[in-house]
Parts: sequence; C-alpha cells; structure tokens
Amino acid sequence: MVRILFIVFLCLLVPGLASMGYSLWQGPAAWSVDTGVFWGLPISLFVFWIGLAHAGTLISAIFLVLDVKMERRTSILAELATLCALVVAVIFPLMHLGVIQNFYMVAPYMESRGSMANVCSPLVWDFCCILAYGLLSVVYLVVHVLADKSAVAASIHRPLAWLLFPMVLWVHTIVSLDFAATFVPAWRGAFFPIYFIVGAVFSGLAMVNIMLCAEGYRMRQLEKLMLVGSWFLGAFLLWDFALKGNLSVTVLVFAVLLPQLMFVSAVRESTLGRVLVSSSIIVGLLLERVFLVFPSGVVGFGWVDLGLICFGFGLFGVIFLVARLKLSRVIEGEEVLMGEVEETVPKRPATGRFSYFAPLTTPEFRMLRFPLLLGIIACTLFLVWVVGCLEENGIAFSDANLVPLTCPIITTVAGIVLCLRPLVMHIGKVGGVVMVALAALLGVLAGMVYGGVTSVPSGAVVSSTGDMLDVGTLPDSTSTLDSVAIIRTKAVFEARCAGCHGADGRLNEKFVREYYPVPQNLDISRMDALGEDSLVNVILNGRTNMNPYAGRISPQMARGLVRYMRLLAETPAADNAARNEGGDE
Amino acid sequence: MTPLMSSLACVMALAQAFFLWRGKMHILKEGLLLFGFFCISCVFTLLVGSPDDPQIEHYPLRMLALCLCFSTTSLPRYRRRYLVMAQAFWLWVELFGGIALAYRGIEFAWARSLAIFLLCCSSTLLSRISKEMEFCLMVFWIAIWILF
Repeated sequence: MVRILFIVFLCLLVPGLASMGYSLWQGPAAWSVDTGVFWGLPISLFVFWIGLAHAGTLISAIFLVLDVKMERRTSILAELATLCALVVAVIFPLMHLGVIQNFYMVAPYMESRGSMANVCSPLVWDFCCILAYGLLSVVYLVVHVLADKSAVAASIHRPLAWLLFPMVLWVHTIVSLDFAATFVPAWRGAFFPIYFIVGAVFSGLAMVNIMLCAEGYRMRQLEKLMLVGSWFLGAFLLWDFALKGNLSVTVLVFAVLLPQLMFVSAVRESTLGRVLVSSSIIVGLLLERVFLVFPSGVVGFGWVDLGLICFGFGLFGVIFLVARLKLSRVIEGEEVLMGEVEETVPKRPATGRFSYFAPLTTPEFRMLRFPLLLGIIACTLFLVWVVGCLEENGIAFSDANLVPLTCPIITTVAGIVLCLRPLVMHIGKVGGVVMVALAALLGVLAGMVYGGVTSVPSGAVVSSTGDMLDVGTLPDSTSTLDSVAIIRTKAVFEARCAGCHGADGRLNEKFVREYYPVPQNLDISRMDALGEDSLVNVILNGRTNMNPYAGRISPQMARGLVRYMRLLAETPAADNAARNEGGDE
Repeated sequence: MTPLMSSLACVMALAQAFFLWRGKMHILKEGLLLFGFFCISCVFTLLVGSPDDPQIEHYPLRMLALCLCFSTTSLPRYRRRYLVMAQAFWLWVELFGGIALAYRGIEFAWARSLAIFLLCCSSTLLSRISKEMEFCLMVFWIAIWILF
C-alpha cells in the first residue's frame, strides 16, 4: 500500500517539478493571474496548504490542553503532516514574490540594509508567523516523540501545547488579513479571520481523516467535528453571499452538502465512504481558495497551474511517506488502542488543599507564566524599537499594524525559554553554558550575514548584446530632458519602475505600502543629496530591494530615468496626475 | 447599529447561552446549537444593521462570542479555562475584525479590545468562581458590550 501511494505521489511530483521549474524560470507570467488583483494560483495553494498545516497542532496540541484523550500514533502522524504541509505551503508565496532569493527582505529586521521592512504589510506578518509556527511545531514533535522516554521532555509537553494553541490560530488569522487588509471589494470582510480559521481547521480534519483511513483505523470524534465544520463553513459562505453577493455553488456542494453523507451509516461505516467524503472536503476547500483569489473568475488556467497543484500534492505525499517510514518505530513502538490511552505526562504531585507556594514559585508560574512574561518583555522591547524606527523615518503607521507581530515573538521567546530550562537540566550546567554561548554566537553570525549581504541580481538580465532600451543622446552638463526624451523615458518608467515607485514617483500604494519593504522616498532634496551618478549606479547595479537593470537598459537610459524622476519630484502631485492623463490621451 | 438594537443583541446572546452545555455533552448537539445561534445572529444583523456599515461584517461573530462567554458560567467543570478561552475568542473577533476594518479607514475600537483583554487576563487569576463572581463577570461583559 505504501509503495503504491509512494509511486502515485512520485507520478504527481515529477511533472509538478517541471511545472515549478518553468514557473520559476518564467516568473509570474507562467501561471494564471487575476488581472484585477494581480494574484494567482500560488497564493490559492499557499492558503490551502497552510490550512492543512493546522491539522497536526489542532489534533495534538489543542486536544491535549482540552484533556481530549487520543492515540499517540494519531497525534504524531498529524504533527508530521503539519510539518510536511508547512514545507509545501512556504514554497508558494516565495515563488509568488518573483525575486525568490530576496525572501529574507520581508523579515522585520529594520535598518540593517538601509531599507525599512514594512511592518504594515501582511507579508511581513506571514513571514514571522510561519517561521515561529514552523519552529515550534518541530520542537513540539520532537518533545512529543521523546516524552515517552524522558520525564524532562514530558514535563514541557503540555506547556508547549498551550503555547502552540494560540499560535496555530494566529497563523491562519494573519493569512486571512492578507486578503482583508486590501483594497479589493470582494475580499473585504472583518469576519475573514474566523472564516479562514474554520476553513483551515475543517480541511485539516479532512486530511487527518484520510490519513487515519490509510492507516486502517478511525476516530469518530474527528468525523463529528468534520460535520460541525461543514455547517459553519456553510454559514460563512452564506454570510459572505448576504454581504457581497459572492457564492460558489461548487464549493457549497463539495465542502458543505456532500459531507452530510456522513449521516448515512453505509457511508460512515465504510472506509471508502469516509475517504471519498474527506476528499470531497479537500477538493471543495481547494476550489474555495481558488475562487477567493480569483474574484473575477479563473481565466487562462493551463498546464502550469495544474502542474503546480500536482507539485503540492506530490511533494507533500513524498515527504510525508518518507518521514512516516523513517519514524515508523517511534510512531508504532508503543501503540495504544483508542479509548485506553494512558497518561504519558506524569501526574502532578498531590498537593494539600492549603499547600503554600512562595510568590512566583508555583509550578504553573515556572512552567508557563514565567516564559510568557519573558516573551512579553522581549516583544515590548521590539515594538518600542520598531515604533522608534518608523517615526524616525517618517513612515505612517497605526498601532493596529504592530499587533500581528506580537504573538509570534512572544510564543517563540516563551518556547525557547521553556525548552532551555529542561535542556540545561538534562545536559548539565557546563553543557548549558556552552549551548547558550553557541546560540548567541549563531545569532551574532546570522545578524552579521544578514546585515552584510548585498542584493543578488534577479537573474533576469538580458545579455549585453540584446536589445537594450536607450534614450538617445543626453547632454551631460545639465539635468534636463527634451520633449522626445521625456516621452521615451516616461514609457520606460511606467513599464519598469511605476509598479513600485508609482506613475507619479510617489510610490504605488497597493504594491509598496501593503506588500513590500518601503523604498526610499525620492524627494527632490534626497535626489540632490545622492547625486545623479549615484542614482544611475543604483538603477544599473541594484541596491537592497531594487533590482539591477544593467543589460536591460543602457546607462544613458538610466540617466534619463533619473532625470525623469527628478522632474516628477519637482512637480506637485496634482500636476503629475494631469500630465499622466494627458500622456495617456 | 442603534444602542437599542445593540442591547437587544446582548439580550439575545444571553438567551442563547441558556441552551448551551445543558445535560450530557455531545459534539453534534452543541455544534448544531452553535450553528443555529450563529445563523440567527446573522439574520438579526442583516435585519437591524445598515448594509453600508462595514462593522456589521463581524457583528454575528461578536454576538456568538458574547453568547459563549455567558454560557461558560453554567459549566460544571473547568470553568476558568473555558471562561478565559471564550473571552479570548471574543478578543480575537474584536481585534482582528478591527484590524481589517482599520485598513478601510474605520477607527479601531481600542477601548473595547483593551477591556476584554484585561478581563481575560484577570480571569486567569481566578481560583474559584462563586455565584457572585459569575454575576460580576456577566455585568462586566454587558458593560463592555453596551458602553464600548
């Protein structure tokens, strides 16, 4: 069975890899994109896979903190599936970025590269949340695996579950804000955070149910939860329809109506029936994400898009099966049958009714509140620094923009503190000191590498013998352009630069303020301070987030662009708008 | 939404909470009740809210969260845990709904979110929830709903 599944997933992965390679080579033009919102299938797949990545933590951590007993094998399988789905999920926003090698630019590590990471951007929030979630999920799986043999690991299993509980919900909430915080009318919804969580949890449950069927056993509570999830998804779909008039009947059928077949005992009691219903949910949720990202309808869906979908499923299946086989001894070593679960966490020492703990020494404080307190302090310090940087650079922001960064920072710091204590106890004081020193050294090195690396060319450079855009001869001694040069440079500016800098040179609100690090404000005083030669050099060779254009435009054209930008900077915004309108005519 | 209708929504949430967690717990029964309450809240919001007001978008969820908060006072066991979780859910709805609305130029309701946050944090310190404390909590929730 495993071999057959492995071959099936490989058959999906191989053409998927070809599609992925082609997509990376060609860039966003390779896949279908909604021309109204400029987003395409990779974003749909990202939301879909990040939703599936909720399964493990939901099944394991949330059930643990709520005292819902379940088999160890089921929870470890679900946690493994989380990590595999997370690996698949992070690939898609990276390829959607276009400049894949500059992914770390979205980290809110301010000022180190001379550009401001945009903390108002949901993309930056995504980066932090997924990083924190991935890190904690790995630690959680390791702790869970070790918990049977090590009392130290068992002691932090439950507190870690408490930390992961809000984190897993936070991740998908932030993903929902990618949509809810935009200008697109179809995505406006203050209910999106909870709607996305319901969808994610629902699809995660369906995935775990399929896995359980493949393993040959079942969990009735999961099936009931799936049914409840289908009702709530249906309610949200109808609420969206009531507010905006959007309703996908296909999604309603696959994700809401077909799961009701679980009320039929013949379907419910058959493995094939459960697999088909769960698969219907997965398909319905995938379609829901696709229709969400394409509000004006899916157009130009081709083999590349199909290949990307295959890539996701193929990669997930292959990684999961390999990890499943490698960990089979751990997963199946001490199998416990459903309903006979023993407590793996040691019972708390019986304390008398009036037992006294000195202030700040209770087990609850030491295990959970103290790490959380340290996390809150670290987060507060970070936010104070961020606010200082934003104000110093004159960037407008709201306090609400900073809130999404709090949970990942608090949880990560608290998780590290929580794991450090037993780790130090386990390996001794000397080993602990060495580990802390190594971690500090690693942090310093990472900071140095991050702060010192320069932008890498995007790889899209045309050979020097190719057709370079030129502007003709420009006078060297003066910073003006004649009317012919203005027309030429304006066309190039609008084709190459306006996407980020805006047609009037005052930033493209949609692309820059929301999704990318904020570029330098090129007002007239700054342009004068930098000088024409310096700016020409930036255009040709790139700097931080600015891609190099050497080979695609001539040095003369770069100089022409600098002068055109200066012209825009000298002109009031209203005049620029009038000029653009006139130019269009 | 007018203050009168807002008060009516609060009463509805209180009335719905009466039916939750009664007798033996069954996932399907409780899930169906919550689904029903959510649908009723949606219909209520559509009837009394202005379609042009973006704040109605998460109003049914706010009603559901308030209903869950009220319902935790009738739980037989683990009341503190579920009390905190219900308030955290309410805070979640307010906070992220508010952030989504803030991007559309609607002022973020800091006072409401802060009040729920403080109440949620202080609830974690409760060791025993007496009848008087239940009453106080319900008064606080109603006050937050009506005043902020």
